[in-house]
Amino acid sequence: MPPGVPPSILVAEDQTDIRDLLVMNLQAAGYSVRAVGDGVAALASQNEIASDLLILDLMMPGMDGLEVCKALRARGRSAPILMLTAKSTELDRVLGLELGADDYLTKPFSLAELLARVKALLRRADLLRAANAGAQVQTQAIRNGDLEILPAKRQVRYRAHAIDFTALEFDLLLHFASHPGHVFSRAQLLNAVWGYTHDGYEHTVTTHINRLRAKLEGDPMRPELILTVRGAGYKMREAPR
Amino acid sequence: MSVRVKLALTIFATGVVTALLVIATVLYAFQRFEREMTFQRATSFLMRITSTYDDVLELRRRRPDEFQAWLRSLVLYEPDTQLYLLDREGLVLASTGKVRLAPGFKVALGPVLAAMQSAKQDPGRTSFVMGDDPERMDADAVVAAEPLRGAAGGDTAGYLYLVAHRDSGAGSRWEALRSTFALPSLALIAGIVAVTTLLAAMVIASVTRPLQRLTEAVATLSKRGLEEGSASTTQTLLPQPTRDEFGQLTSAFEMMLATLRRQWSALRRLDHFRREGVSNLSHDLRSPLTATAACLETLDARWAGDASHAEDRRLVEVALRNTRNAARLVQSLGDLAKLDEPEFRLHRVDVDVGELLDDIGIRFAEPAGRKQIAVRVLPPDGAARPPYASLDIELFERAIANLIDNAMKFCAPGSHIELSARSKSAQVDVCVADDGPGIAEADLPFLFDRFFQSRQNVAPATGEGGKGLGLAIVKRIVELHGGEVTVDGAPEHGTRITLTLPAAPR
Repeated sequence: MPPGVPPSILVAEDQTDIRDLLVMNLQAAGYSVRAVGDGVAALASQNEIASDLLILDLMMPGMDGLEVCKALRARGRSAPILMLTAKSTELDRVLGLELGADDYLTKPFSLAELLARVKALLRRADLLRAANAGAQVQTQAIRNGDLEILPAKRQVRYRAHAIDFTALEFDLLLHFASHPGHVFSRAQLLNAVWGYTHDGYEHTVTTHINRLRAKLEGDPMRPELILTVRGAGYKMREAPR
Repeated sequence: MSVRVKLALTIFATGVVTALLVIATVLYAFQRFEREMTFQRATSFLMRITSTYDDVLELRRRRPDEFQAWLRSLVLYEPDTQLYLLDREGLVLASTGKVRLAPGFKVALGPVLAAMQSAKQDPGRTSFVMGDDPERMDADAVVAAEPLRGAAGGDTAGYLYLVAHRDSGAGSRWEALRSTFALPSLALIAGIVAVTTLLAAMVIASVTRPLQRLTEAVATLSKRGLEEGSASTTQTLLPQPTRDEFGQLTSAFEMMLATLRRQWSALRRLDHFRREGVSNLSHDLRSPLTATAACLETLDARWAGDASHAEDRRLVEVALRNTRNAARLVQSLGDLAKLDEPEFRLHRVDVDVGELLDDIGIRFAEPAGRKQIAVRVLPPDGAARPPYASLDIELFERAIANLIDNAMKFCAPGSHIELSARSKSAQVDVCVADDGPGIAEADLPFLFDRFFQSRQNVAPATGEGGKGLGLAIVKRIVELHGGEVTVDGAPEHGTRITLTLPAAPR
């Protein structure tokens, strides 16, 4: 994204009133916004111009937000996706993240919150792009003991096994692995990885630490890689060289 | 005492009583038989005398000195028999007894004469008579009498009176009876009673077996509840209805079960509709509320810093606050309906509850700080085992957040809220304690009821909404985790809410 050009956002929402309000406020915030009313149109719009960020309603006629999400990820599009949902069941939330959405908001949400999330997602995407650009210069993998991370390919190998992570999990792991032995407080992790401080009922740091442990550790209750430093935060064990 | 034992005891008692009655009856019959035999023997003996000797009175008259000896010789071979010669009025003229009777002693002849009369009319009847024994002065001997006619025949001139008394007294008779009767017969009777009782017990057991099976079936059904037991499993559980009272009971129970099941499913259907209705309503209200809130937020942002719209902004703020309250309430209702669904499943993860509390503490530090309330997470107590529990992290955080929200609502600036997690054998105690105004004791039992709001906690209508459901959601979440919620607190002493959760198995 060249500097000076406003980030482009696609809003896919079947409720006209909400769609118009989103467009109005996102434009007021300085983004270039396109809006569609259903999932099929959302997917089609990405054929012409890829947006920098997508805001998808989960429940849309024809093709719902999850399917759009899946289809886009299948095409290798990595633009951040913010999912809007009227359901507050956990299943929906987890699915949204597992299937490639980067964040979600439950209706009714506040516009301020939405704008904060959009900003954070775009910033994170920017950082990622910068990291990738840098990685072309130094395609060096990050190694810590048995852990090997290839930032450019967003691949992780641990004890010679390739392990899949969601975008946030990967970013969290990368953050730890980039500073092995360093203790991060939860607030620091939220700022560094999520890019903003969550407010609401989302379970974030602990959940993601737990997921990382579940995927990496033999016994998640006796972690060996990502350690808890009581009263301070978490750190990744520094492998002896 | 079980019905079986009661029945067996009843039958045993009945057997014993019956045996005793039979013995008594037999004894009575034996006695009567014995007396009748004595009487008949006596009567025939007397008749033999009267037919042999034409005129006994004449004999006495002729040889009064030898008469007594003659009389005695008559009864020489009739043991226990005393003969008396009476005149027409019953006056004793002579006797075989050794006892000297008072002169002029009279025997009451009435009963014996009446018996003789009735015996003549109806020969088949027993006719023995208990009459006067002049020697013993009681009416407890078998007596017989035979009228004596004078030489010229005609009227009764006197009577030969026979007393067959038993010298062996009641005691010795009882002894004799016991010796003959006791051992073999009593053993036999006891044996019969025992066998009868045993048989009865077997009959009772077989008869009450359906009852027992029914009881077992009912117990199983009670344990399982109506939901699990479908109609088919009930049929296999219940004994096959027989044609007796137990069969009727089984059928009646089946009918009751069917009715209950019908009503239960009707209730469940209704409850399902209610939940679905609330859920749908909550879902359908979200979009309009989102749009309304977004409109108001847009307006608010547009008029920010514009002095000419200061009044409008104030109105928009009120509208926005109320919309958000409505939104929260709608969300809570929908969530509660969701959590109430029988199909709802937790996504459990084994997690260090202390770490989670740290997380939540960080989240609330900032908003609480704005109200000058300190949120503190107590460090672990150094127990050997960190407080691990298998939790649905989102729901657990939701519960703790609701509790902190609640505490923050009622705590004055300068208050403290403390979070702690302690591992206790097979459970983890999670506490949210504050030093706020506390809760009236009368309110404690209802604190976690839906839409209950403590009187002193009633906020103005424009206050934050949905809080009538916050604690109900906490309770439901803890219930789903198989734990329980307890509240300690008194006015002026703050509130301590403890969630007791099962610890994660290790």
